Amino acid sequence: MTTTLAALLIVHVLGGIIAIGMHNVVLMHLLKKAPNYVFVSRLAWSAFVLFILSWATSAYYYVTYYGSAVKPRILAGSLPFAHTFFMETKEHIFLVLPFLALSIALCTTYLRMNPDDDNLRKGTAFLTLVALVVGVVTAASGIIVSGSI
Amino acid sequence: MTLYESFIIMHVVGTVLGVGAATFAEIYYTRFNSDNILTDDERRTLAVTYTVLRTGLFLLVISGFAFLLYFRLTEHVGALTSPSFWAKMTIIGILVGNALLLQARIMPLAIGSAISLTSWYAALVLGVIGKTDATYGELFMYYALATLLVGVILRWIRTRLHAPTTI
Repeated sequence: MTTTLAALLIVHVLGGIIAIGMHNVVLMHLLKKAPNYVFVSRLAWSAFVLFILSWATSAYYYVTYYGSAVKPRILAGSLPFAHTFFMETKEHIFLVLPFLALSIALCTTYLRMNPDDDNLRKGTAFLTLVALVVGVVTAASGIIVSGSI
Repeated sequence: MTLYESFIIMHVVGTVLGVGAATFAEIYYTRFNSDNILTDDERRTLAVTYTVLRTGLFLLVISGFAFLLYFRLTEHVGALTSPSFWAKMTIIGILVGNALLLQARIMPLAIGSAISLTSWYAALVLGVIGKTDATYGELFMYYALATLLVGVILRWIRTRLHAPTTI
């Protein structure tokens, strides 16, 4: 693996994990009666940017390296389901995450201007929970894929 | 100092802050709430303790994934499929889920605090013992039993320290 690809993999993993952590903090704040929406919306937009970064770096890594160098090794190894199930699931579920993150960021921006909209606060909290679960499942799938080489 | 050593230091610091803050959060809460009243000063002390705890969790997770990357890039991926690694990952997940449920007031405090305290110590123990012959199920059974035991002990301590409500 080249240094550039290694750097892209590092950005993909750490960017994704920090973004998931940010969604966790967003959710913790949205569960409060009167959240600080300025802080929450900044965090939600930062998470969106990090997901896009993680998405773009992983796309380059997947297209130029994973398919030709990693996938054949996994399929020939003792845990081929790491690719056939986990990677196949991960690469499709992960497509949803940046759009979920964008929706959360837009909702928190709206909440910043309309802090009394309690229904939207609850709805955004639920959406953030969905994004958090999808993020955790994606991260766990990534670990399984990495561990099966 | 190598990159690997700096990850170890970060991981140890995260664990120390997390386990220490979880312990003191429990001690402070039990002590402060013995009169059923939390003053502003006591709330501020608890808030600082929780901030330290979250900092510890952040360092632990980031350094944990830094290890993962290190193992992946150096092709030492055996650790990523070990039962103790997955037990530790599950326990960290439980810690985060428990914090969310406590924040949403869905989780009763007596159960939530027992889970939090046990989970931090379980993560510490699993990190120290490293590789083990125990299966994922066995590790989780020990964890569940420890949580139950800690819950009973905390309840006993709270009952002893709690001020009488009637005179």
